Amino acid sequence: MEDRLKSIEDEALRALEDAQDKEAVEAVKVRYLGRKGLLTGVLKGLGQLPKEERPKIGRLANEVKTRIEKALKERLEALSSAGGPKLIKGFDPTLPGRRLPVGHLHPITKVLNEVCGIFERLGFSTAQGPEIELDFYNFEALNIPPDHPARDMQDTFYVDDKVLLRTHTSPIQVRTMEIMEPPIRIIAPGKVYRCDSDITHTPMFHQVEGLMVDEDVSFAHLKGILTHFAQEIFHKDTKVRFRPSFFPFTEPSAEIDIQCVICRGEGCRVCSQTGWLEVLGAGLVHPAVFRHVGIDPERYSGFAFGLGIERIAMLKYGINDIRLFYDNDMRFLNQF
Amino acid sequence: MLVPSSWLRQMVAIEADDNELAESLTLAGLEVEAVEPAYPWLLSAEAARISRVETLDGAKNITACTVETSNGEVQVVCGAPNVQEGMLTAYVPPGTQMPDGKEVSESVLYGRTSQGMLASEYELLLEGDASGIFDILKKYPEARLGQSIADITKIHDTVFEIGVTPNRPDCLSILGVAREAAALFHAKVSFSEPGLDEDQPLEGVPIRIDDPDLCNRYVGAAITGVKVAPSPGWLARRLLASGVRPINNIVDVTNYVLLELGQPLHAFDMNKLAGPEIIVRRARQGEKVVTLDGKERELTKEMLLICDRDRPVAIAGVMGGLDSEVTELTRDVLIESAWFYPPNIRRTAKALKLSTEASYRFERGVDPAIQKVAALRACQLILELAGGTYQGVKDENPVPYTPREVEYRPKRINRLLGTDISAQDMAAILESLEFEVEKADEDLYKTVPPSFRGDVKAEEDIVEEVARCHGFSKIPTQSPVATLIVKRPESFKPFMDRVRGALAGEGFSEIISYSFIAPWDLKNLKLPKEDIRNKAVKLKNPLAEDQSIMRTTLVPCMLSTISRNLRRRNLSLSLFEVGAVFIDKGPGVIPDEHQRCCCAITGSRFPESWAWPEQEVDFFDIKGTAENLLDILNCQDCVFIPSQSPETFYVPGTQLDIKAGDVVLGTLGQIDQAVAKSFGISQKVFLMDLSLSALAEVATDRKTFSPLDRFPSVERDLSIILDDSVRAQDVLDFIAQNRSSYLESFYIFDVYKGKQVPKGKKSLGIHFVYRAKDRTLSEQEVEKEHEPLTKGVLENFKGSLRS
Repeated sequence: MEDRLKSIEDEALRALEDAQDKEAVEAVKVRYLGRKGLLTGVLKGLGQLPKEERPKIGRLANEVKTRIEKALKERLEALSSAGGPKLIKGFDPTLPGRRLPVGHLHPITKVLNEVCGIFERLGFSTAQGPEIELDFYNFEALNIPPDHPARDMQDTFYVDDKVLLRTHTSPIQVRTMEIMEPPIRIIAPGKVYRCDSDITHTPMFHQVEGLMVDEDVSFAHLKGILTHFAQEIFHKDTKVRFRPSFFPFTEPSAEIDIQCVICRGEGCRVCSQTGWLEVLGAGLVHPAVFRHVGIDPERYSGFAFGLGIERIAMLKYGINDIRLFYDNDMRFLNQF
Repeated sequence: MLVPSSWLRQMVAIEADDNELAESLTLAGLEVEAVEPAYPWLLSAEAARISRVETLDGAKNITACTVETSNGEVQVVCGAPNVQEGMLTAYVPPGTQMPDGKEVSESVLYGRTSQGMLASEYELLLEGDASGIFDILKKYPEARLGQSIADITKIHDTVFEIGVTPNRPDCLSILGVAREAAALFHAKVSFSEPGLDEDQPLEGVPIRIDDPDLCNRYVGAAITGVKVAPSPGWLARRLLASGVRPINNIVDVTNYVLLELGQPLHAFDMNKLAGPEIIVRRARQGEKVVTLDGKERELTKEMLLICDRDRPVAIAGVMGGLDSEVTELTRDVLIESAWFYPPNIRRTAKALKLSTEASYRFERGVDPAIQKVAALRACQLILELAGGTYQGVKDENPVPYTPREVEYRPKRINRLLGTDISAQDMAAILESLEFEVEKADEDLYKTVPPSFRGDVKAEEDIVEEVARCHGFSKIPTQSPVATLIVKRPESFKPFMDRVRGALAGEGFSEIISYSFIAPWDLKNLKLPKEDIRNKAVKLKNPLAEDQSIMRTTLVPCMLSTISRNLRRRNLSLSLFEVGAVFIDKGPGVIPDEHQRCCCAITGSRFPESWAWPEQEVDFFDIKGTAENLLDILNCQDCVFIPSQSPETFYVPGTQLDIKAGDVVLGTLGQIDQAVAKSFGISQKVFLMDLSLSALAEVATDRKTFSPLDRFPSVERDLSIILDDSVRAQDVLDFIAQNRSSYLESFYIFDVYKGKQVPKGKKSLGIHFVYRAKDRTLSEQEVEKEHEPLTKGVLENFKGSLRS
C-alpha cells in the first residue's frame, strides 16, 4: 500500500510538471484528488486494511494529499503569474547563444567619423591630402617661413630639405583653396606625424582640420560652429571657453577648452586642476594664407580649426594611455 | 616662462589674488599652465628640536641626533659643528627637493639610519650662515616646533608657469607679463630707471660692428673693482623660482636682468679680453671657440661672433666663451647688451644644437630699444651686490630702431569679429597696451606699436589685440548664414569607409599601426631586390631605427600586430588595416602614396563555445572573406587565379591573385613559415593584401534588379571521380562555358578523398539548379540539358561517375 501511495504521488507530481495550462492542472486535480480520484480511492479503501495498518497508511495518504495540493497550488501560481517561464524538458534556454565573431572598427575611426559627421551635417565636405608633404604646404604657405620660431611648436620628421611628414592637417586647407573658389566648407581628417613619444604623445596621431571661407565669415561664427560641435560630440550642456592663442596661419587665434568631462569643472588630475580641457585650436584665416592661394582677403574671410582625434577619443572613452591606440591589442579593440 | 608672483607684483600693483590673476592672464592669451609654490623646500622643511646628540666621530663633528618633529621622533646623522641638545633647527624630511637640485633621501651613514637632513640657512637659500645648521630661535624667538620654515621666515611665494607663444617674446620677461597685467587690470607698471649716468662714455674699450645686418646694436658697460661672491638669498631664490640656477653675484645679475627685462646680457672678465676691445663679425669657416660649457664649437661663416682684439670670445646671442668667463678672481667686468638678427641666431643655435635662455629670446626678437637700460640696470645691481666703480657705457647702434606705423579700420575689425566695439574703445585698448593711436579718417586709424611689440605689423594684428583685450567671451556666438555648396572636393574616404564597414561586418577588427617600419621588416618579407616595395622613404631624423622608414606595404605592420597579440595570448585573430603606403620617387618630391587594405586571420574560426567544436581557420576562410568583400563592393568580373608572379612571403602554391581583367587587385595566401617566424609567429596565418585604388576602380554602386522566379526549379546532383590534379575552378569554368539557358546556377557541395575513392583521385559533388522563366520545366527537358553537360564534364576531365 505504501508503494502504491508513493507511485501515485510521483505520477501526480510528474503530471503537474508537464501541465502547461490551468486546464491541465485541473485535470490532474480531478484525476488524483477528485471524488473519484486515485488518492481519494485509497482513502476510501482504508477500511479494508488490517486495523493495525490503518492509522499509518491514513497518515501517509494525508501527507501525500497535502503535498499534491501544495504542488497543485504552486503550479497554478507559476502558470498564472503572467508571462512566467514555461519550461520545456531537456531544453535549456539559459545556455549562452551562438555568437559568431563580430568585427570592431578602431576607436579612432569611430570618433573620426563622428567628428566628420557632425560637420557634414553642417554642409562641410570631406577633403584629403598627402601624408608626406612638401615643406611649402606644411609651413611656408601657412605663413611659417624657414627660421621662424613657430616651427618649434611642431617637432618635424624630415625626409629631405623639401619633403617632410605633415605635422598637421592644415596643408589640406591650402591645397583645397588652391583648387576651389569660395565659398568653401571642408573637413579634412588624416594622420599627422611629430617626432615626440611619451605617455601623452605618439609619433603618429590623427587630426581633423576644418575650414570655412565666404564673404563675411566672422569670429562670432567660429564661436557658433565650434560651440555647437563641442556640445554635439560631448554633451549638450558642455561649457566651452575660447581663449587667445597663437598659430601663424590664423589671426586672431584661439584655443578652445571644454569644461572637464571627468570632474565637471571641479578640478582633477586629467585637467591638471584647472577644470578645463583644451580640445581645439582655431582662428580667422590669416590674410597671408589667403594671399598665398590667390584669394582676396578684403573680399573673403574665413575660419579654420584643428583638433586631435586621440584626445577626443580618450576623453569620450576614458582611455588613459594614448599608446594603446597603436598597440592594437585585441582586448582593447574588442571594447569598441 | 616661470614668473614668481612677488616679482610680478613688485612691478605692477594688482589687488587680485594669484588665481584671479592667473585666470585673467590665461583669458588674454598668456596661458598660465600651473600655479605652484615657489619655494617648495621651505614648505616641507620644519622646525624640529634636537632632543639627544650622540657623537659618532668627534674629529669630523659627526653626530647622530634624535630629533622631535611634527611626525614624531626621527634620527638624523649630521655633520654640523653647532648641534646642541634642545636646539630648534630646520629638519628636511626625505623626498624633499633642495635648491641645489638634490633630493633628500633616507640613508645609512656611519652605520646609522639617517631619516632626512638638518639644514643650514645657506642650504635653504635663506640669508644667513653657511657654517652650521639653522639655529632658529636665535633669529625667530617665537618659532614653534612643527612650524614650516616658510611660515617662520614668512618667505612665501607662488610661481606662475606661463606658456608664452612664439609671437610674444616680450612676455618672456617679468616686465612683459607686468605690462599685460597692467593693461588687463588698468594698473601701471613701475620700473625705476637705474640711477646711473647714461651719458658717461666708456673709455678705453673700443666696440666695432663689422656686420651691422646681424647686429643692429651693441651696448657695452663696465664696472671695475667688483668682489665676486655668492648672491644674497632673495636674489638666489628669485632666480631659482624662475628656473635659473644661481652661480655668483655677477652672472646672477645678468640672469636676473634677462628675466626681469627680457634682454639677454653677457658679462666678460674685462681683463681677459685682449685690448680690451670688442669686434662683432661673422665667423670664418671652421673657426673654433670653446664655450662656457667647456665644449669646443666649430663655426661656419654664417655665424656671428663677438671677438676681442685677437680671438673669438663668444658666439653672439648663444653662449659666451670659456676663457673670458667671470670667475671668483674677476675684478673688472664688461657687460654686453646687444640686439641680434633673430633668424641668424636661430640658425646658429639649431646648427650647434645649443639652445640657451639667451638664444631663445634673441631668435624670437628682443625689444630693440632696451639694450642701454638693461646694461645700466645690470651695472646698478652689480654695484649694489658686488661693489666696484661704474666706468660708463658705450652704445654702438648702426641700425637704429624705427617705429612702424600700422593702419586699421574699426568697421572692418567689427565685421571680422562679429562685434560692435566703438572706435574709442578700440583706441583705449591699444593705448592700454602702450600703442600710440591717431585718427586719420572717418574709418581709418593709425597706430604705432611700442618697440617691444615686434609682432604687430598689420591690421590683422590689431584685430587680434582688440579681440583678446575686449575678451573672447564678449564676442557673440552665432550660427553663420552660409551659401549651399554643390561642388565637393574629391575624397577617397567614403570608399575606405565602405571597405571598413564590409570587413567589420565579416567579423574582422580594425587595427591602425604606425606608418613607419623597420628596414629589416622588408628584409623579413624576403622581397626580391627589384621589388618596388624596397624603395622606401627614409626619415632623416627617426625616433628609432625600427621606425626609420615609411611603409611600402601593410604586410609587416599586420604581422607585427599579430605577433604582439599572440605573445599576449590573444590566439585567435581576424584583423584588417586600411591605410597609406609610400613609394619613394627621389629627393625633393612627394612620394607615391596610395591606400591599401590588409586582412589576416589566424587561430580558431569561432570563439570557444559549447555550441560548436573547435575549428582552426584555413585558406578558405580568407578566400571567403575576399569573395564576400568583392560581392559587397559590387565588383564586376573579378577572378581568383593561381599567381604567375608569386610573392615571397606566401607559402608557394597557396597564393591566389585577385584580378579584374589584367589588373591585379591584390593577393591572398598563407604566410610562409620562415617569414612568420621572423616576425615571431609560429602558427598559421592567412593573409590578403589589396590595393584600394585598384579595387575602387572596379567597385560600383550599380545594382540591377532581377525579377523573382515564378516557376519551380529542377535540381540535380552530380558526383564524379576525378584525378586529384584537376582543379575545381576548371570544372566550374567548363560548366559555365557549356551551360544552357536553363541552368540557373551550380556549385560544389562536396569534395571527398578517402575510402571508396581510389588513391590519387577525388570525388567532386556538384549541385545544378535548372529553371525556365516562363514555365515549369519537365524532367525530360532538364535531362536533355543535364545529360550532355555531365557527359562533357566526364569526357573533358577524364572522370567517372561515382557509384
